[in-house]
Amino acid sequence: MNTMEGKDKTNVDKNNKYDRQLRLWGDHGQAALETTRVCLINATATGTEIMKNLILPGIGSFTVVDGQKVLGEDAGNNFFLTKDSIGKSRAKVATDLLAELNEDVHGDFLEEDAEKLLDSNPDFFSQFSIVVATNLCERALSKLSNHLWSKNVPLLVCRCYGFIGYMRLFIKEHTVFESHPDNTHEDLRLDRPFPALVQYCDSLHLETMTSKDHSHTPWLVILYKYLQEWKKQHNCKAPNDYKERNKLKEMLKKGIHRNEEGVLEDEENFEEAIRSTNMALVPSKVPSEVEKIFNDPSCTNLHSESSAFWIMARALKDFVDNEGEGALPVRGTIPDMTADSERYIQLQQVYRKKAAEDASKVSQRVQQLLHSIGKGADDQVEPLRPFMPSPSSDGHTSLFSSVGLISEHEIKTFCRNAAFVRVVRCRSLVEEYDNKSTKLQELVLHLDDEEPDDAVFYVLLRAVDRFYEEYNAYPGWYNDQVETDVSKLKACLTKLLQDWGLSLNIKDDYIHEICRFGAAELHTVSAFIGGVAAQEVIKVITRQFVPFNNTYIYNAMKQTSITLEL
Amino acid sequence: MAASIFGVFDEVTQNKIISSKVLVVGAGGIGCELLKNLVLSGFPDIEIIDLDTIDVSNLNRQFLFRKEHVGKSKAQVAKESALHFNPDAKITAYHDSIMSSDYDLEFFKKFDLVMNALDNRVARNHVNRMCLAADKPLIESGTAGYLGQVSVIKKTVTECYECQPQAAQKTFPGCTIRNTPSEPIHCIVWAKHLFNQLFGEDDPDQDVSPDTADPELAGEAGKAALESEAKADAAGGIKRKSTQAWAMETGYNAEKLFNKFFRDDIKYLLSMEALWKKRKPPVPLDWNNLPQDVPATTHQVAICDQRLWSVQECADVFAKSLSSLKEELIKQGEGGMLVWDKDDDPAMDFVTSAANIRAHIFGIPSKTRFDVKSMAGNIIPAIATTNAIIAGLIVMEGLKVLREEFDKCKAVFLNRQPNSRKKLLVPCQLEKPNPKCYVCAPKPEVTVILNTHKITVKVLEEKIIKGGLGMVAPDVEIDDGKGTILISSEEGETEENTEKFLEQFGINNGVRLKCDDFLQNYNLTIIIYHRDKLEEDKEFQIIGDVSEIQAKYLEDKENEDKQPNGLTEKQATEAATAVEDEDEVMLVEEEEIQQITVSKKRKHDEEPEVVNGDTVKKQRLISDVAEHYDDIIS
Ligand SMILES: [Zn+2]
Repeated sequence: MNTMEGKDKTNVDKNNKYDRQLRLWGDHGQAALETTRVCLINATATGTEIMKNLILPGIGSFTVVDGQKVLGEDAGNNFFLTKDSIGKSRAKVATDLLAELNEDVHGDFLEEDAEKLLDSNPDFFSQFSIVVATNLCERALSKLSNHLWSKNVPLLVCRCYGFIGYMRLFIKEHTVFESHPDNTHEDLRLDRPFPALVQYCDSLHLETMTSKDHSHTPWLVILYKYLQEWKKQHNCKAPNDYKERNKLKEMLKKGIHRNEEGVLEDEENFEEAIRSTNMALVPSKVPSEVEKIFNDPSCTNLHSESSAFWIMARALKDFVDNEGEGALPVRGTIPDMTADSERYIQLQQVYRKKAAEDASKVSQRVQQLLHSIGKGADDQVEPLRPFMPSPSSDGHTSLFSSVGLISEHEIKTFCRNAAFVRVVRCRSLVEEYDNKSTKLQELVLHLDDEEPDDAVFYVLLRAVDRFYEEYNAYPGWYNDQVETDVSKLKACLTKLLQDWGLSLNIKDDYIHEICRFGAAELHTVSAFIGGVAAQEVIKVITRQFVPFNNTYIYNAMKQTSITLEL
Repeated sequence: MAASIFGVFDEVTQNKIISSKVLVVGAGGIGCELLKNLVLSGFPDIEIIDLDTIDVSNLNRQFLFRKEHVGKSKAQVAKESALHFNPDAKITAYHDSIMSSDYDLEFFKKFDLVMNALDNRVARNHVNRMCLAADKPLIESGTAGYLGQVSVIKKTVTECYECQPQAAQKTFPGCTIRNTPSEPIHCIVWAKHLFNQLFGEDDPDQDVSPDTADPELAGEAGKAALESEAKADAAGGIKRKSTQAWAMETGYNAEKLFNKFFRDDIKYLLSMEALWKKRKPPVPLDWNNLPQDVPATTHQVAICDQRLWSVQECADVFAKSLSSLKEELIKQGEGGMLVWDKDDDPAMDFVTSAANIRAHIFGIPSKTRFDVKSMAGNIIPAIATTNAIIAGLIVMEGLKVLREEFDKCKAVFLNRQPNSRKKLLVPCQLEKPNPKCYVCAPKPEVTVILNTHKITVKVLEEKIIKGGLGMVAPDVEIDDGKGTILISSEEGETEENTEKFLEQFGINNGVRLKCDDFLQNYNLTIIIYHRDKLEEDKEFQIIGDVSEIQAKYLEDKENEDKQPNGLTEKQATEAATAVEDEDEVMLVEEEEIQQITVSKKRKHDEEPEVVNGDTVKKQRLISDVAEHYDDIIS
């Protein structure tokens, strides 16, 4: 009894503490966050800022890997390394201070150089949900990214270099169904009404209703009826251009009741019908992004190792090709509208019921597919995500691990988001570093311009890495060598471009500027990247929103940013 | 010391930073991040002010605070935490309102730069005026969920915070709340008013009883007026004493309160037959005879946040919260009262249950406690990451301001995800000041539409000049050649005027009032525009630009000619929702119209922590908030 109360108390505390973010990603997003293990390589200012923004919202645990001692310059720009800690282990000091941010998050550290650790115990890194690395040299980065790529562990690389912020995401395949696109249409099917909808609309008769009922009939029903009327007059065709839609709206306007004096009544529902006409007449079709997923080899060629996502995607495709008659399962939600609650709820039920029926057909197909790839009831399928929420009897979303069969709840969620499912595949570092990469040709297209876009900094940072490889120092690191470093960096850039087989003229101003930065990490740039990077990690963990693919560059001088695929 | 800034920053910037003194207004989500960034960028002298104390719901992002700090001053704890990490910085903290007269022109003149990290429009307006008066550059900022923005304000160079009309706060006509609710929000507002009537300060604008002066009852007006006193008495016999006194006498008896508000008052509403000719009439509920058609999901006892409650459960929570609130009130002793707070569980339980019972009575869909909380508390979701990004941007703009490179300053908008042009950040050119702005124009003027026979001096002062026009302590004089003083900021000097109508001072159409706020160093001329009746039964309307009135009334007239409830605005909204494949003509229209629809879409988010959008395009960003937010939590 006592433990129950204790547990409830913790939940209440957490709900209050996390209230403002639960409203963004929901309980299931929070649950995913709380089971995440994050590894930070190098407790730089950028690194600790990222961790701060992950610890505050409540990840499960974090581990800092860093072999260095705290230096004076660290204490100057890193909030989590204090002056009195100079000379101590950077991993330990940062971990201690970061852990103070949230008592529900467990912190841990390893005082060891990441590159050495990679050589001695590479599997150490495979235990994490995601690895965040800052200020790694090219050689160490290659090793790390190749290793994690082979183990399917996502890696986010971040770097702040003077006024430039840089991020690169390595993730082999990331599937999302709550992608939250910026513009979504309601899924109302007025262009292809399903039988239950037809039946319900036909059961209501606008002509014989009292004026009270007339003005409280859901606009969906009204629009359906006027659309049928229109079709009758137009060879069974729906209005298909601006002019025709306006004519339909005119018809609707004429349907508004008038009072005894002939003045139009205030019928909000008709006005809503008129307002919604354009939106509701958009034909129901499979979005091109989803079409791409259907044609993906992972979808068309299921095998015994296929993940739950692909099995469901295939079931969805088969549904569309068969009983769906070319359309996705009905989403099952309708927008708010002026209506009496009785009929609103009835209409809602019509859609919900259809959605449930569609989902159960998809579910049957999932079972068949599982069977066909030799998965029995007790076999495991690679889960969609570590945990899936499921409404338990008390209405609370409780959690259970979705090992084994794909749950009905997962399938329902998948169907409800069918139009928004996405797959992100980043390119590997090997692909990026391939001198023949066609992405490089695209990248440098506009860099000759008087005002090149921020992609120019990608090229410059690569030149900086080459500089480091050759001289084991960063250009402009020593104040008295800035001038000589300028010509050295220029030479590195020329060689880099030669290797790429590109001729490109980058203005000297940029070279000077990069040298002036002297690899310094500006706190305010770190703070910015700390926010953006943590947000990307949250996207990956919660599987909500689509993470960037695959490179992000921030220019603090101009307050601009760009995403590139490299 | 922030070693790394040297070398990266040029010498001019370094010197500007070292010799600067800056003010941060607000120690919340953005404020904490900003304070840290400033300290670690080498700013040597920082002052920070915040009136608030720390709440547990701040801890997910305001990283300078811990659990043990809950209840303490934000500004003070922020300072201490920052110093703990970085003892070299000089930070001065004020646990106070920036609107207090202690922070006068002289105070603002000390600083080279002021940075707002606020969450409400009232304080933003005030700081805007103080910075204009002191001629100090101001950086405005705000976040809402994943969205955020930063902007620079410099007198005579850029737009000020009030250059563009601000979306009016959504209010609901009293009779909708009291007589004819049709949406969940109406019931929630009513329940909050009920809370204040029972436990809080008595505010006649928050009456919860049936409103016999409903304009829809016009036909029966004479009769209603005559009988209203008697009828109100009949409806519970409590009209003559305050609701609170009566409730206290019953000992906050749940049954008695329930039957009064959900049975007798509803029966009385039903007797106003005119209201129900075209509406579904409400169904009174009786404490002892509650519907028991319990939804399928409610087998168990647990009452939780994200599940809809049955009527019986609502009644139980109603009773339970009543008794907790009664205890709290008693603890306060004689003359005590409670202030409604979304983070106080009994207060939140009370509003959720009362709102849902009322919703049931009127056949309005009910809402979960989780959703009621966000609607009743105007909750704007907030996370650490967005604040970190915005605070980073603020410092970068701040450096340009210190170098006085105002031509390079930008208004920067943060998108939820990279837009179609792959940009997460959208920097925009700063707008020039609006020559007709009633705050920063050389001779500020504003027009107020009202009925001079119905507006008292008190309403003019409290609701229009303070509430609407953001003054703190105004002196108002009639520009009648005689210099008649209407309102004095000295207490007691003009008290005899307060209950009189404007018309009694000869204030009618076209009369000019000269207002002066000493603290804000702000003079404003109000031009009175008399109308017998205002649209949507508003009490008054503030119009920044006179030409808008002409346009507005021309349009109104057109509508009147067409039909009583002109469709034009609705048609406008329609264009805004036009689908992508729409003809070009429509898309042009969409651009222009977005501004109108913003306030509609955002009806539950009255105070986003976002700077009020300056242009049409910017407003769209913000308007996304509510829309999208709905789709995430659903
Ligand atoms: Zn202005």
